[in-house]
Amino acid sequence: MSDKKAVLKALNEKARAIETLAEGEEESARALQEGPPGMPAGCTTVFDTGWETNPRPTYPVGNCQASARDFHGCAGDCWWPAQVPDGLTNHPDVDKQCPNVARDWRKLQYD
Amino acid sequence: MSGTYAWADHRLFQGEGGPLLFGVEDVSLFHLDRETAEVLARWRPFEPLLLEQVPPPDRPAIEAFRRARLLVPARPRARVPRPRPSAGTPLSTLVLEVAQDCNLACRYCYADGGTYHGAPRLLSPAVARRAARYLVDRSGPHDEVTLVLFGGEPLLNFPAVRAAVDEAETAARAAGKRVRFSLTTNGTLVTEEICEFLHRHRVSVSVSLDGPPEVHDANRPTRGGSGSYRAARQGLALLLRSPPAPVAARVTLPPAQWDRIPQVFDHLIGLGVHEVGIAPASPVTRELLPTAEQEEALFEGFSRLADRFLAAVEEGEVLPFSNLLDLLARIHLGASRSVPCGAGLGYLAVDTEGRFFLCHRLVGQEPFRVGDLDSGPQPETIRGCLEALAAPREESCARCWARALCRGGCHYENHLRETVLGLPFGGTCGFVRRWIELGIRVYARLCASGHGELLGRIGVRARC
Repeated sequence: MSDKKAVLKALNEKARAIETLAEGEEESARALQEGPPGMPAGCTTVFDTGWETNPRPTYPVGNCQASARDFHGCAGDCWWPAQVPDGLTNHPDVDKQCPNVARDWRKLQYD
Repeated sequence: MSGTYAWADHRLFQGEGGPLLFGVEDVSLFHLDRETAEVLARWRPFEPLLLEQVPPPDRPAIEAFRRARLLVPARPRARVPRPRPSAGTPLSTLVLEVAQDCNLACRYCYADGGTYHGAPRLLSPAVARRAARYLVDRSGPHDEVTLVLFGGEPLLNFPAVRAAVDEAETAARAAGKRVRFSLTTNGTLVTEEICEFLHRHRVSVSVSLDGPPEVHDANRPTRGGSGSYRAARQGLALLLRSPPAPVAARVTLPPAQWDRIPQVFDHLIGLGVHEVGIAPASPVTRELLPTAEQEEALFEGFSRLADRFLAAVEEGEVLPFSNLLDLLARIHLGASRSVPCGAGLGYLAVDTEGRFFLCHRLVGQEPFRVGDLDSGPQPETIRGCLEALAAPREESCARCWARALCRGGCHYENHLRETVLGLPFGGTCGFVRRWIELGIRVYARLCASGHGELLGRIGVRARC
């Protein structure tokens, strides 16, 4: 991105392709935050929550439909079905247990 | 920015314009500024690296490494899968052993005087036609195929050359495809008629020439023992009369001549060839195994040509040194290989009896016979050959930074060194790594001096 200071300069075509790919990934991440236009919907074939996104222009924007539905269904009762274990107090070793969510999610032992 | 990351395999070179970072498996090349290099030095020992532990001032650089896939989510490294040949693997290149015979007796010949270990014999025009048609028929989705007319000396058997070209063109026309032809010759038998035929069919010709008369004649005597330089040069002169495709000189030098590389190159360019490629002779006898000093001379010779290449670019010229052009093209694309070459995977050689071999250099070697024109290539046998060739080097290749550009090197050369001569594995690795590193440095210099457009044009060589 032009406003960022270039700390690595891609020299060959492969290096440029990799950077373009990374930029593409950022573009879609940004698109998810920017609201409904062009927001992708539907199931995903990769383990990538957030792809199947909340199409409504209301809070929470950009997370998956399932969690958005849960949020609206449950927020009033102060109950939130966490997708990620609480690593701060209850599950300090979650990183070791599950270094890669896509691969290791079955190892998560929490309710 | 969070998560557990690990450094992807990479290598750092100190280039003239600053550090260069080479992504080993991706074949990606980056230039680093000084601060980024310092961040790399600071965080490189951390394995795995928790992004949360990186303090804010280092984060932009760490983020850049992550974007460049030099820092990747920590997970077990996957082995690069090798392509597996199947009955349906389409052919893209077929090498025809038009003549397993030769009028020369080159001292370094890997084909035992062109015969590939057996009685001298010629390919019949009928088998030539079958093979040419086979290539086109089995080319699957390829729009373009390559038929290589090889030997021995293919011009000892011009009727088969003519038959193969004619049949391939007919078959290709019917299938809506294009055939490229190439022919490797010693040049001594080229006549006006042959020349006219080769030009008319746009056959790319490589002439085996080793340089000035004393170098050439020491390597490439006729069967009678006299030098072949004069005859080869006459043939070359005919081929160079308005050729439709570039004429390349294909040089083979034994270790004793590796200190002559720049002179050899200049002599051949002076003769008017369009490109010069230089190959060290395979050690078909132990006398052809180089000493450490000779290997140094080989690298020195290639380095001097690389320096001249850089100087020529500043004058707006391209020094036609094939070895370097091919290497730069591969670095430019950053194409990561999973096999060293296409042998057995769309590339096959066929001998005078219509039998398939893994590649042209392995013709006549029983363990590498992989089928025939009647029954087709045998995928199981090809798979077995490729596995056996790759297995002994798997571990050391996995540790080598040059692996994605090399993948183990020439099958024939490895077989010769390790199986036939019983030499320890890896005898040529040191040279290969130095040569690839030199290519990376030349590439970075050309980028720094604003020659990206030239590199793009050179890159086209590696696309096909």
